[in-house]
Amino acid sequence: MSDAATASPHHDDPQFLKEEQKKYFTFMNLAFLMTALTGIELVIIFLPFPGSLLIFGSLIFLSLVKFVGVIFWFMHLIYDKKLLTVIFLFGMTLAAGTATALMFLFSESHVDQELPFYQEGLIQEAQDESGP
Amino acid sequence: MSSPAAEAHAHAAEHPVEHMPTGLNTKKLIMWLFLASDCMFFGTLITTHLIYRKIYANLGVDPIEIFDIELTTASSFILLMSSLFMALAVSAIHKGNVKSFRWNLIGVIVFGGLFLAGQVYEFNHFVHYSGLTLESGTFGSTFYLMTGTHGVHVALGILWLLSWLIYSYTPRFNSAEHAIDVETAGLYWHFVDIVWIVIFTAVYLIEYV
Repeated sequence: MSDAATASPHHDDPQFLKEEQKKYFTFMNLAFLMTALTGIELVIIFLPFPGSLLIFGSLIFLSLVKFVGVIFWFMHLIYDKKLLTVIFLFGMTLAAGTATALMFLFSESHVDQELPFYQEGLIQEAQDESGP
Repeated sequence: MSSPAAEAHAHAAEHPVEHMPTGLNTKKLIMWLFLASDCMFFGTLITTHLIYRKIYANLGVDPIEIFDIELTTASSFILLMSSLFMALAVSAIHKGNVKSFRWNLIGVIVFGGLFLAGQVYEFNHFVHYSGLTLESGTFGSTFYLMTGTHGVHVALGILWLLSWLIYSYTPRFNSAEHAIDVETAGLYWHFVDIVWIVIFTAVYLIEYV
């Protein structure tokens, strides 16, 4: 099979062109949705609920929706072979696992608070609070 | 004597595209493997920033005071739109519509350039007006390292796409033969976008909660 026939495909195939046309509208709708979500993110951080778990959770959720939208539609994972999804999610899982492990290892309850860098920070903070 | 385009077609017909036993294109597979590894790279950069942000009390600056969240939101919008243009450029080249491919690619490059301009403006403001430098504590170090690395990825992406734009005007360019290469470049560009989606939430927006 020739490169032209496999790499790109079927310029004159009406079925292929129809599918690409459908993708065009999908991409446009997704872009509008993600724009709206970005706007919502900006608005909700100014809602009068400081430290709210609901706001925190909403930001994570909105970010996740945008993330999924880009990797599955813009990056074609939904149209491609599942192996590519597995490969990418494997990397993502390793990254998320490393991040979670580091967060636990360096959480306040696990950090030696006698360490100089930690003490310096606290001393400086106390000085700032007491004023000049 | 045959034209370069005809020669390219003949070359394409003689040399089958490199496919793995899985049926996947090699270039695409390698790009996905690279992106999976880059996830870990950015994952550690973002986590390092978040850890130092939490446990090191002396930040030197108040992030909420120095961040311009409206500008950062605009930057996020710009990068999302560049991703849309990239998706349309890939679709156009698969359809063999080179003119549309070029215009969409110009859109990606312009929007990517605008994003970088916004980042340069932000860094300049932080350094000269807010006193946040690479040496002004762990917050400055980890913040510039993370956002700067992302900025370098954006800059490399722009150069890569610019080279495709220029190449598309040469007689050697063949939309059928090079569609998969453009799609691979597009994967890289979209990845830069998703990294920013995470940074925007984990580094900027979370400060306001």
